[in-house]
Amino acid sequence: MCLTRPLSCSESGRIMTDRILIIEDDPDIAAAVAGEVVALGCEPTHRDTLESGIAEAGAGDYRVIVLDRMLPGGDGVAAMAQIRAGGSRAMILVLSALGRAAERVEGLEKGADDYLPKPYEPEELRARLRALLRRGAIQVADNDLMAFGDLEIRLKARTVHVKRTHVPVSPREFALITFFARNSGHVVTRMQLLESVWNLHFDPGTNVVDVHVGRLRRKLEEAGAHMIRSVRGEGYLFAQNGGDAGGA
Amino acid sequence: MLKARATLRLAALMAVSVAVLSLGAMALQYRLVATRLTLAQKELLSADLRGLGALYEQRRIIALRQAIDYRAASGGEELLLLTDREGRILAGTESSWPAEVAPEGAGFDLSTPQEITRDTERWLVVARELPGGFGLLAGRPLAPVDATLAALRRGMIGLALALLAAAALVGWVAARQVMGRIGRLNRLADQVAAGDLEARLPGPRRADEFGLLETHMHHMLDRIASLNRATHRLSDTIAHEMRTPLNRLATRLSEIEGQEEKVSQLREEMRGAIRIFDSLLDISRAEADQGSGGGLLPVDLSALAEGVWELYEALAEDKGLIPAATIAPDLMVLGDRTLISQMLANVMDNAIKYCAPGDRLTLTLTAGPLHILEIADSGPGLPEGMGEDVFERFTRAGRDRARGIRGHGLGLALVRAIAMRHGAKLSLPGVEKGLTIRLEWQPLASG
Repeated sequence: MCLTRPLSCSESGRIMTDRILIIEDDPDIAAAVAGEVVALGCEPTHRDTLESGIAEAGAGDYRVIVLDRMLPGGDGVAAMAQIRAGGSRAMILVLSALGRAAERVEGLEKGADDYLPKPYEPEELRARLRALLRRGAIQVADNDLMAFGDLEIRLKARTVHVKRTHVPVSPREFALITFFARNSGHVVTRMQLLESVWNLHFDPGTNVVDVHVGRLRRKLEEAGAHMIRSVRGEGYLFAQNGGDAGGA
Repeated sequence: MLKARATLRLAALMAVSVAVLSLGAMALQYRLVATRLTLAQKELLSADLRGLGALYEQRRIIALRQAIDYRAASGGEELLLLTDREGRILAGTESSWPAEVAPEGAGFDLSTPQEITRDTERWLVVARELPGGFGLLAGRPLAPVDATLAALRRGMIGLALALLAAAALVGWVAARQVMGRIGRLNRLADQVAAGDLEARLPGPRRADEFGLLETHMHHMLDRIASLNRATHRLSDTIAHEMRTPLNRLATRLSEIEGQEEKVSQLREEMRGAIRIFDSLLDISRAEADQGSGGGLLPVDLSALAEGVWELYEALAEDKGLIPAATIAPDLMVLGDRTLISQMLANVMDNAIKYCAPGDRLTLTLTAGPLHILEIADSGPGLPEGMGEDVFERFTRAGRDRARGIRGHGLGLALVRAIAMRHGAKLSLPGVEKGLTIRLEWQPLASG
């Protein structure tokens, strides 16, 4: 039983295909991004200048805009206000070679919903696009209880139970498991966890995140819930039955 | 208020020199007048003596006595006295011979004149003993000379005071003018030093040397700002030019199937290259922004330290270290949240990398006139003689490679650049064992 039912592109696409706008001047990268978009079951549209991109964002009904920064015509981050002013309600994912921590924070502070530095790994892009699509689609019925088989997470009480037995978790572990739960069935990357759970926007180099996930995973497994598994080279997958549901 | 002591000193010096020169000129004039006037009285006395001498040639004492009686009766300003050999007054303008005057010689010339004071007035007198023991005293008053000189002195003192006041006023006005113009330039320089490279002087330039200096300063600032923009553009361009091909590489890598191990290794290598490159850009950017308060906001240093500690504590425990933190709450500083976190993460990461199971790792943050943040470990410490060199870019201890510790020697260089960016003092206090890194922060009043 899962009350917050996440929708992915392919699922919602049965009714109407979600559209994703790619504003990117490098044709190779644009093609690669378009490939990922298609793999998610969405429909990509590509514009290679800032001006045409802004015009297109206002004209079409896009769920997500993948926006480059150093474009002919200006900086994508500076153009976000224009995109919003044009009436677009799309989620904006900045995909840029300006990838230092300070630049990422700047992008997020100026209104980007997510920021992925180049070079990105296709899995990371896919995970982030999916998370953005889902963020717009989550229907909040009863936001207090999230249940996955034997595992129950109560948001207000901030408790985790497995088979009715209380599993003590630290505040950080609780934030971690809630983030996993919100993205259940899909791969989440280490950088996503660092950004969302720790609010840190730099790559620490060492896999500090692994230690924390490992501890949470052991606690859940000792209580009998085998929900978290690592996906080689990509990140983690939170799903019932040890992740057999597979979403990557 | 600007304390322009140099300008004031210069103005005061000029005022004093003008006043001293003028006073010197007046003193010279005074001496000239005094000499001239005394000389005039001497001439008069000399003429008197010549007249008396002529009369004496004709009819000796009798003629002198008549002439002196006549003069005394007509009430001239001169002093005349004639006595017999017993000292009795025969004729004269006075009733007694002045005690302080002794007769000298017998001639009717101006040799050996004497100065005497009678009733507070000065006199120039000549006393003679004529043949037969007759005493003759002739004198002229110096009072007119003294009166003129006193009047002159009064005038000069008044003038000197007026001159000093005028010099001081002119000096002050000039100093104020100069200080005002220099103050403008200094304020601009302060603004620029505080990080505002776009600051400029408002209003039009005047066509004088200060105006020229202002124009030169503006040109200089324009040049610095344009170089700075070029540097920022360059680092952006480098980022773009290096990351874009790497991005294509990453895309191609994901197309390779069946060699996950190799692909994963290649990706890790790529990430490592990007990290080095980002660190270098971060270091140069932090160094370029050093000392400028721009972009810094009040941040809770305690919360940041807590967050990073919490992230790394688990890693330290897993590696078998003994971690412990004492963090004073709610310590605010002016800073960049991400940079401070990155710096603390680098220090922690470095400590954990070098420590062995059983080593201690502690973080302490204490409040004070300066907030002190220390990250200490009981690991191997720095090699002999390395000291602060450890904060230089690409500095690595030779033993690291032997021990298989990976790195590029950029972590601590970034730590130093970020500390400098925040004006925090970074030091390595001497400890018996291990390495302690201390950061001293300028506190910001909370709330």
